[in-house]
Amino acid sequence: MSGPAAPGGADAQIRDVRYQRDDGERRGRVAGVVSLARWGALRALGARRGWKAKIVPIALVLAALGPAVVLLGVRALFAERTGLDLTDALPFSDYQAIIGVTILLFAGIVTPELLCPDRRDGTLSLYFSTAVSRSEYLAGRALGAVLPLLLVTLVPMLVLYGGILVFEEHPLGYLQGNWAELPRIFGAGFILAIYYAAVGLAVSSLAGRRAYAVGGYLLLLIAPTLVSGLVRESVSGGAEALDLMALSTLPIGFAAKLFPDAADEVPNAIGLWALAYLVVVLAAVAVLLRRYRAGVDE
Amino acid sequence: MPPATSTAPAAPRAARLVAAHGVSKRFGSVLALDDVTVELDAPATGLLGANGAGKSTFMKALLGLVRPDAGRLEVLGVDVARRPAELRRRLGYMPERDCLPLEMTARDLVVHLGELRGLPRRAAVLRASEVLFQVGLEEERSRLIRTFSTGMKQRAKLAQALVHSPELVVLDEPTNGLDPAGREEMLSLVRRLSRDLGIAVLLSSHVLEDVTRTCDAVVVLREGRLVRAGRIEEMSALGQHGVLVRATGDVDRFAAGLSARGLVARRLDGGLTVTGAVEDVLLDAVRDAAAEAGVGLRELRPAGPTLEDALVDAIE
Repeated sequence: MSGPAAPGGADAQIRDVRYQRDDGERRGRVAGVVSLARWGALRALGARRGWKAKIVPIALVLAALGPAVVLLGVRALFAERTGLDLTDALPFSDYQAIIGVTILLFAGIVTPELLCPDRRDGTLSLYFSTAVSRSEYLAGRALGAVLPLLLVTLVPMLVLYGGILVFEEHPLGYLQGNWAELPRIFGAGFILAIYYAAVGLAVSSLAGRRAYAVGGYLLLLIAPTLVSGLVRESVSGGAEALDLMALSTLPIGFAAKLFPDAADEVPNAIGLWALAYLVVVLAAVAVLLRRYRAGVDE
Repeated sequence: MPPATSTAPAAPRAARLVAAHGVSKRFGSVLALDDVTVELDAPATGLLGANGAGKSTFMKALLGLVRPDAGRLEVLGVDVARRPAELRRRLGYMPERDCLPLEMTARDLVVHLGELRGLPRRAAVLRASEVLFQVGLEEERSRLIRTFSTGMKQRAKLAQALVHSPELVVLDEPTNGLDPAGREEMLSLVRRLSRDLGIAVLLSSHVLEDVTRTCDAVVVLREGRLVRAGRIEEMSALGQHGVLVRATGDVDRFAAGLSARGLVARRLDGGLTVTGAVEDVLLDAVRDAAAEAGVGLRELRPAGPTLEDALVDAIE
């Protein structure tokens, strides 16, 4: 129902808010996956909830941006006056290693938010009573984990790249000389986001409570890293392959291999890194699919 | 038992809402559904049965959430086994147990579930406002669900089931956990769905009154088997058994008056049992004959078992 236009306001309408049938457009099932991802990502970041739910994710995103912001700030304030050369002070290949702990913690906080509340609140039965299938639910939640993770795995490096570009005397010249870094930055960002999302979701699917999921996730990633570090210390040669066992830093080593300046410094061939990476990610996906197969724990 | 096919006004969109043929489902050693054959087309149908009778399993089978071991199920003309996703877009479902995300607002929940059922975002937002208004949650739409009372949670569950204009809404024990006032309001809402809003309803309950107040037809399950199905008004025993009348005054004249109206009046236990016409005609004739004979009516009740008696017998 629409009423006459209000004086002076040609677009004013009176809407009838009573229940009416809606035979309008219906979207495909991909839209359902996107909706699950969107609402999941918002929940993981604490959106539409109290400040307590927001403060940790926001603090970790700021911490991930810190090195880039500090470097760009120093460069803006002092480099020109003092002649300080900060060109290679923070290579893209090192950035993720520098903020590795932040990324690890962020994933540990964010990924349980995507699955644990649905299991705790019994919401799965509600979701599966819509047209959403189990695999679509998982796809939506995986996307909902990857997108926030890109805030700490990709965005800081893009900020650094963009900042350098802005402060360059000849931005176009920098862009021409360094355009190849952009696909590497995106590749590295997605490698980390997908890895931590898959592992975090797999652990969360096995835990009923967020606290257990966070603890299990950290234990799973840190314990093999500590063991591989200790073994490497005690073995004299041929221990580079042990780096592939360090689950917490595995994707960081793989991503660093994408950058030519670091490729020689990181041990093992890129194929080995890729293989180890795929094994872990596929194992995590297998756990998720098994946990959410029909008839299990709705 | 033959399938129950009522002559009620057709449901909003599909002539036959549900058709189940020989549906069985076993969970381990428990036979939850045992060769259930029934057809439903009333605007509102109640699914009655004691706890564990198979009501929830039957509803989940209709939604494609539980796959029957045997038999065939069609809902809105769609084979549930073949196209469950398409079907679920046309259905609304209000689960019995707690299922709401506690850290969401009612508005966000309804918008989100609308999107999952295919509504574009803008339409989902508009529809959410409409259904929250309809279920009486418009003032609380921005509150987190964890702050809701049981009644408000039930309303939120109903709202999410209605947001996408379903052709059939499946309500699993909608009055569970509600106080008397909340139950009254929920029953009024449910009745409005089929009467005013044009949405067919399948409601499960173990409370007889919930069904008789809100539904046009009833299906009774016991230990997974269909024991009774049909329109509620046809189950009324008045037509078959007549009424028992106790009167003061000239009872013989009263009986003669009834006979003159084509009814059969027999003396029984100090009263008269009157049969021979359908319910409305019978009651009108008793009233008119009593007025004509100048007798006072002390008691007037069904002579046979009541609807409640019949359904309770079937349930138990």
